[in-house]
Amino acid sequence: MNPVFGSLFGLWPAALAGFVGVLIPRRDSRLERALLGLMGALVVLFTMAVWPGTAAVAETPPDEWPNLLNMLIGLPLFGSVAILFMPRQSPKLLTGFTLGLLLLNLAVSLLLLGVPMTRGWHFLYVREWIPSLGIRYHVAVDGISLWLVLLTTFVTPIAVYASFGSIKTRLKELCFSYLFLQAGMLGAFVSLDLFLFYVFWELMLVPMYLMIGIWGGVEKIKAAFKFFIYTMTGSVLMLAAMLYLVVQYTKLTGTPSFDLLALQRVMLPPGAQMLCFWAFAIAFFIKVPMFPVHTWLPDAHVQAPTGGSVILAAIMLKLGTYGYLRFAMGLFPGASGLNAANLAGLAVMGGILYGALVAYKQDDLKRVIAYSSVAHLGYVMLGLFAVTPSSISGAILQMVNHGISTGALFLLVGVIYDRRHTRAIAEFGGLAKVMPIYTAVWVIITLASIGVPGTNGFIGEFMVITGTMISPRLRNFAGADATLAAAGVILGAVYMLSLTQKTFFGPLSNPKNKRLSDLTVRETLSLAPLVLFVFVIGFFPSIFLDRTRDAVQGFFDRYQAVWAEGRNEEPASRLIRPSSDRAMERGAPPVPGESPTASAQGH
Amino acid sequence: MGLLFATSPLLIVSLGALLLMLAEAFSKKSNEGDLALGTAVTLLAGAATAIAVWMVGPESIEGAAALKPYLLTDRFAMFFDFVICLGGAMTALLAGGYLPEHGLERGEFYPLIMFSSVGAMILAGSGDLLSLFIGLETMSIGVYAMTGFRRGSRRSVEAAMKYFLLGSFAAAVLLYGGALLYGATGHTDLVGIGQRIASAATAKGGGGVSLPLVIVGLMLVLVGLVFKVSAVPFHMWTPDAYEGAPTPATTFMAVAVKSAAFAMMLRVLLIAFNDPGSASWGAGWPPVIAGLAVLTMTVANVIAGRQESVKRMLAYSSIAHAGYVLIGVAATIRQNEHEAEGAILFYLLAYTVSTAGAFGALILCGRQGAEATSYEDLAGIGRRHPGAALPFALFLLSLAGVPPAAGFFGKFYIFRAAIYGGGGFYWLAVIGLLNSVVGAYYYLRVIVYMYMREPAPGAPIAVPMRSGYVAFALLACALLVLGLGLFPGSMLDIALHAPVHG
Repeated sequence: MNPVFGSLFGLWPAALAGFVGVLIPRRDSRLERALLGLMGALVVLFTMAVWPGTAAVAETPPDEWPNLLNMLIGLPLFGSVAILFMPRQSPKLLTGFTLGLLLLNLAVSLLLLGVPMTRGWHFLYVREWIPSLGIRYHVAVDGISLWLVLLTTFVTPIAVYASFGSIKTRLKELCFSYLFLQAGMLGAFVSLDLFLFYVFWELMLVPMYLMIGIWGGVEKIKAAFKFFIYTMTGSVLMLAAMLYLVVQYTKLTGTPSFDLLALQRVMLPPGAQMLCFWAFAIAFFIKVPMFPVHTWLPDAHVQAPTGGSVILAAIMLKLGTYGYLRFAMGLFPGASGLNAANLAGLAVMGGILYGALVAYKQDDLKRVIAYSSVAHLGYVMLGLFAVTPSSISGAILQMVNHGISTGALFLLVGVIYDRRHTRAIAEFGGLAKVMPIYTAVWVIITLASIGVPGTNGFIGEFMVITGTMISPRLRNFAGADATLAAAGVILGAVYMLSLTQKTFFGPLSNPKNKRLSDLTVRETLSLAPLVLFVFVIGFFPSIFLDRTRDAVQGFFDRYQAVWAEGRNEEPASRLIRPSSDRAMERGAPPVPGESPTASAQGH
Repeated sequence: MGLLFATSPLLIVSLGALLLMLAEAFSKKSNEGDLALGTAVTLLAGAATAIAVWMVGPESIEGAAALKPYLLTDRFAMFFDFVICLGGAMTALLAGGYLPEHGLERGEFYPLIMFSSVGAMILAGSGDLLSLFIGLETMSIGVYAMTGFRRGSRRSVEAAMKYFLLGSFAAAVLLYGGALLYGATGHTDLVGIGQRIASAATAKGGGGVSLPLVIVGLMLVLVGLVFKVSAVPFHMWTPDAYEGAPTPATTFMAVAVKSAAFAMMLRVLLIAFNDPGSASWGAGWPPVIAGLAVLTMTVANVIAGRQESVKRMLAYSSIAHAGYVLIGVAATIRQNEHEAEGAILFYLLAYTVSTAGAFGALILCGRQGAEATSYEDLAGIGRRHPGAALPFALFLLSLAGVPPAAGFFGKFYIFRAAIYGGGGFYWLAVIGLLNSVVGAYYYLRVIVYMYMREPAPGAPIAVPMRSGYVAFALLACALLVLGLGLFPGSMLDIALHAPVHG
C-alpha cells in the first residue's frame, strides 16, 4: 500500500469523528457543523498524537527550540502593544487580530508536546536581566507546568471568542486586556526566577482589574478593588520573604541570585523558614483562594464579565495552586511539611465542606459556581498538602479539570445571563423544554464537575483522595481527611444537581422564559472543545498523567530528601548538600555562584 | 579650565537664566511659548553636561576640587544635577502648555525655574553648611514665587504665604542648628564636623567638643532637612502648597526640590554624622529617621486615600514617597557598598519621571477655567481622551509600584537595601511594603474614574487641552518610566557609582 495513503488510513478515527461532528448535530448553520466536525477531528488527532508510546518511538529526543517559550509570552505581549495602535473604529480588525493571535499561540504551544517530558527542565531559556542583583530571565517548563501552560493557551481563545458575543463596547481595551493577561499568565507559569515570577504575577493583576472594573456588573468597582488589594497584600508579603531569602543566599555564597533552583538550596533556620513559608503561602492562598481569605472570589466572579470569569476561574486561580506547589513547597519543604496536617484540615473543612455548603445556599447562579470553585480547589490544595506522588499528580490533573469544567460552567451561565440579564436561580425553572441543547451541555458539565466516572473530574478527585489516605505528612489525620474529602464529593453532587433541577427541570412557570432561544453558533463553538476535553481526560487520563509523572516524582524525591535533611535543625542558614538536590538533573543550568565566571560578574 | 568644565551644568543653567531674562524683556507677548522651549533646552543642556562630566569622571578632572568643600563636583552631585535638570526641563515644558492655557503668560516663571534649579544644584553639590544654606535659599525663594504665581487666586496666594512662612522658619531652624554645630566643633564644612565628632567620641571628656551641643545641633538640622523633604510631622505645608500652586510649580516642588532636599540630607547625615555614636541602629539619627519613615508612609497613605482632589492626593502621595526614601536613608548605615545610597538615587530618578508625568497628564486633562482637579473631573477621560489617560495610568501604576514600571524597581531596591540591613530593618521593609498596598488603593481610584466611570449627568465635562510641549514631556517621561522599568540594571549601576563620599 502507498505509505502516504497508509498513514492517512491510520487516521480513520479522526475522520470518523469529523463525520460525526458534521452529520449528527441537528443545527441549521452549515459553517457551525463543519467547524464542529473539524474540532472533533482535531481533538481525536490530538489524542492520537499524544497517546503514550507514540512519542517514544523517536530514538533521539527531538531538538527543543529554545525560543518557544519566549514566543509564547512574546506573541500576546507584542500583540497587546500592537492593539494600542489599531483604529478603534474597526472592531472586526481588533477581534480578528486578537483571536488569530491567540489561536496561533495555541498552535505554537502544542509544540511543547513534541518532546518527551522527562525529569528536569525543557525549553530552557536563560538571559541575564539585571546581573548585579542576580536577576535573570529564566523560563522553562517541566511536567508540572506543561499542562497549565496548555490550559492557558486553550482556554483563553475560548473565553475571548465567547466574550466577543456579549461585549460590544470598548473592544480595543478588551482585546488589549486579554492579550496582556495571557502574556502575564503564561509568563508566571514558566518563570523559574523568583523576581521574574513576581513581575508576571503583578502584571496579570492590571488587565483583570480593568476587565472587572470596565465590563463588570453593578458593583464592579468594589469587586475590582477587592480583587486587586487582596492579591497585592499577599504578594508584597511574598516579595519581602523573597528578598530575605535572596539576602541569606547572598550571604552564604557571595553572589546574589533570584533563581529558584539556586534559592532552593538555602536551608533557613526553622523560625525564619516558617515566617518565609507563611509569607509565600498566604500570597498563594489568597489567589487560590483558600478559606478564610476567599471572600474576594465570589464578588469578583459575580461582577466580572463572562470571559473574565472564565479566565479567572480556569487559569488565574491555578496560579495560586501552582505557585504553592512550585515555590512555597519547593523552597520550604520543611515548613510546608510541618504545617501540612493543619492546612489539610483547613482545606477539607474550610474549602471542600464549607465551600460546598455555602454553594448550596446561594441564590445566584454565578455565586454557586464561585463557591464550587472554593470547594474544588480545596481538593487541589489537599492533594498538595498530602505530598504523595499520587496526590500531587491528582492535584495537577484536577487543576486542569477544574479549568475545563468550571470554565465551561461560567460560559453556560453567561449564555443565560445574556438572554435574561439575571442570574437569580428563582427566576428560572423548566429551561430544558425551551433550550434542550443548552440543557444537555449543562448536564454533561455538571456531571464532570461532580466527578462522575468517565468524565474528567473523577480521575483527579480519586487520585487526590487515595493519595491523601496514605500520606505520612498528614499524620493521624490522613484517614479522616480522605473520608471527609470523599464526603465532600457527595455534597458537590447535592448542590450541583439541585441547581440543575431547580433551573432546568420542573414546570416552565416564568413567562419570561418561554421564548428563550437555544445556543447560538458562537456559544456552541466555544463550548464544544471544552465538552470534548471533558471526555478526553475522562477516558484517557494517562495521556496527561504520563507527561507529569516524571516531574512529580522528581519533585517528590527532592522534597523527601530535603525534608529528611531538615530534620537535624541548625540555628543558622546553610546550603543543602548537592546530593540531596536531585532536581538539578538534565537541563538544569549552572547555578550562579558555583562557576568562577558567574561569581566574577557579581559586581 | 577643568573647573569650568566640572561646574558646567551650573554655569550653563545660570547663564541661560540670565540670557532668558534678557530675552524675555525684549520679546513680544506672543512669543512666550519660545521661552518654555528655551528653558527646557537650557536645562536639558545642563543635564547633558552633567552626563558629560560623569563620563569623563570628575575625579580625573584637573582643578575640579578647587571649590572644595563649598561646591563639590563629585559623581553624587552630577547625578543630582542630572535629576534636577531633568525635573526642571519637564516643569518648563509643562509650564509651556499650562501657563498660556490658563492665562498666566508671564515670562518670569521660566527664569524662576532656572534659578531655583541652580539653587537645587548648589544644594546637591555643597559640602559646607554655608554654601548649603545659600543653595537652599536660592532654591526656596524661587519656589515661593512660583507657588504664588497665580496672583488672582486666593488659594495660590495662601499657599505661597504658608510655604514662605513655614519654609523660612525651617531654614532658620536649620541655620541655628548649623550655628550650634559650628560652636561645638569649630567647623562649617561637613567633613570637618564629622572628624571632630568622631574624634570626640573616642577622646576622653569629649576632646573639647560639647556633645550636648552637637546633639541639639543635629536635632535642629534634622528638623530643617525633614521639613524640606516634607516628612510627617513637618508635612503640613505640603498639601496646601501643592494644591494652591499652579501645577507646573507643584511639579517642580515635588520633583526637583525634593530630590535636592534628599541630596542635602544624605550629605549632611552621611558625612557629618557618620561615626558609630550618631549613626547606628540603637543611637543617633537612624532610629529617628526610621520612626519618621513609618510615620510618614502610614499617615500620608491613609490621608491620601481620603482626598477628593487628585492634585491633593498627589501631594500626599509625594509625602508618602518621601517616607519610602527615608527607609533607604535609615538603611544607609548598614551598607558597605553604597547599596542603600544607590537605591535612593534610583528611587528619586524613578519618582521624578513618574511624578512629573502624572502632573503633566493632570494638566492635559483640563483646560482654561476648568482645570481638572477632582476625581469627578477625570470621569470618562479614558474614553474621551485616551492620549492623556493612558500615560496617566502608566505613571500612576509606576507610583503604585506595579512592575515593570520604574517606580516598582525604585521600591524594590529600597526594600532590598533595607532587608540587607537585617534586624529591625525587616520590619521597616514589611511596613513599607504593606504601605505600598494602601498606596495602590488611591492610585487605582484615579484609574477607576478614568476608565470605569462616566461623568454624572449634568456635571461639567472636563475638555482636555492640547499642547505639544506637554505631550512631548509626557512622551519623554513615559519612555523613561518604561526604560527604567525594563532595563533597571544599568541605571542602578550608575547610581551605585555615585557615593556621597566622593
